[in-house]
Amino acid sequence: MNLRRDFYKILGVSKSASVRDIKKAYRKLALQLHPDRNQDDPTAADKFADLGSAYEVLSDEEKRKQYDAYGEDGLKEGHHGSHNDIFSSFFGDFGFMFGGNRQGQQDRNIPRGNDIVLDLEVTLEEVYSGNFVEVVRNKPVAKEAPGKRKCNCRQEMRTTQLGPGRFQMSQEVVCDECPNIKLVNEERTLEVEIEQGVRDEMEYPFIGEGEPHIDGEPGDLRFRIKVMKHPVFERRGDDLYTNVTISLVEALVGFEMDITHLDGHKVHIVRDKITKPGARVWKKGEGLPNFDNNNIRGSLIVSFDVEFPETQLNDNQKEGVRAILKQASVQKVYNGLQGY
Amino acid sequence: MDNCTGHSHFLLSAFLLTCLFGLSLGTELSFVTCGSVVKLLNVKHNVRLHSHDVRYGSGSGQQSVTGVTTVEDSNSYWSVRGTSGAQCHRGTPIKCGQTIRLTHVNTGRNLHSHYFSSPLSSNQEVSAFGEEGEGDHLDEWTVQCGGAVWQREEAVRFQHASTDALLSITGEQYGRPIHGQREVHAMMGPSQHSLWRAMEGVYMKPSESPLGNKDYSHPLHTEF
Repeated sequence: MNLRRDFYKILGVSKSASVRDIKKAYRKLALQLHPDRNQDDPTAADKFADLGSAYEVLSDEEKRKQYDAYGEDGLKEGHHGSHNDIFSSFFGDFGFMFGGNRQGQQDRNIPRGNDIVLDLEVTLEEVYSGNFVEVVRNKPVAKEAPGKRKCNCRQEMRTTQLGPGRFQMSQEVVCDECPNIKLVNEERTLEVEIEQGVRDEMEYPFIGEGEPHIDGEPGDLRFRIKVMKHPVFERRGDDLYTNVTISLVEALVGFEMDITHLDGHKVHIVRDKITKPGARVWKKGEGLPNFDNNNIRGSLIVSFDVEFPETQLNDNQKEGVRAILKQASVQKVYNGLQGY
Repeated sequence: MDNCTGHSHFLLSAFLLTCLFGLSLGTELSFVTCGSVVKLLNVKHNVRLHSHDVRYGSGSGQQSVTGVTTVEDSNSYWSVRGTSGAQCHRGTPIKCGQTIRLTHVNTGRNLHSHYFSSPLSSNQEVSAFGEEGEGDHLDEWTVQCGGAVWQREEAVRFQHASTDALLSITGEQYGRPIHGQREVHAMMGPSQHSLWRAMEGVYMKPSESPLGNKDYSHPLHTEF
């Protein structure tokens, strides 16, 4: 085994990558490199193992420091969790799904525990920048126990002969004998990714992390994304809408301002012409990243409304305003509701 | 992964012991947080808080809440949420004395109580009320516990905010169609019957906000 591996290169991240970047890279590559998905590639198992080692080291503060300073040789102990453990903290216990179907699902007679569907509330900031949510899953796990137990119990009709030509039918409970199983609570950490641009109702499944079934397999755990309302921005698809109230003076003479975006960067707006109430400024590329292609972004649409001054004008000021604005009297009467 | 030494400010003395025993017992989360989905075990009677699409035949006629002996029942999951007035951010630890709502995951109804009589013991009826997680102020419960935050290992009490009664079970059992399930009600005065523990579930860990400095992030130092 090559002990001089470049873990940053394996994950495809820069030396200054954050833990979140590393998790995101692992999750994306793990799906691609899993040996089950690359059955023709003899090096698949090694590549997958390298990926797991890279993640294990770079996602741990201590190990990463050691690796950065001394390289792979400098890492103190051997590796703890198995690569399958790391994989399953991102995808669940049964490891693998292509397009939503479980492998080996031919036998539909295996009883399955219930699925658990949980709403995961996410902020618009998380939709914009992405995030990982760590959750601790505590669940009962089937463990072998000494002895046997009754399983597959069912009602059967039994016919017993009481005498020549006389029969009796009765219902009996009949069980099989199975290895004894007890349920023991265990817990593990799962990594749920909030992908950039994620939409409401999208689901992230973790295979086998649902309710256990004592006679069969566990169900799945699914996180259903719920994007929370934001005090400043409204989402429509990949576009973001926001409103700004300006003063009458600003509306007439112009202004300059910054809007703080979801990740803290500032969107600069300059107006040197008159801004009418309801006017909109369209900022391309300042919306949300598109879920399917993060490089495409929607737009930020800023709508302005005008706040009039509170103070009343005296006669002199009224003359002044008439003189400056030189706008003729309009007084146009019309039906503004038109059926609304 | 060995995280026992890396984040020492998460450790409490009991947790330090579980850390030494290995990964299967303790992880880096010893308290219950907002957004967590948990099963609640009544300590004295060893049953889990449960609800289902079955209504009380008397009292309010609302959806019934019971205690079940089965461990692996997906109808026993309750989401720990803030009240409609005070937003509770995902991953924030629940403080002792904090008012919360417990929303039944599968039906979207909130644990609720009111001045109706419970069917078996004539105590105060506890039901599941509301739609999609929204009900009314009678859905609010205060978490009573010993320390600063709701520890997972600790047996706590839930006091109904409007009536001061405590969520309890005293052992009365229903017949068909929910044979063997225990009556859940609310009673005044703390007792062994009103102690509950958070068991199986999905616990949200405090998240770093993408910005790192906005209101949403909970400070990672939680020395309680």
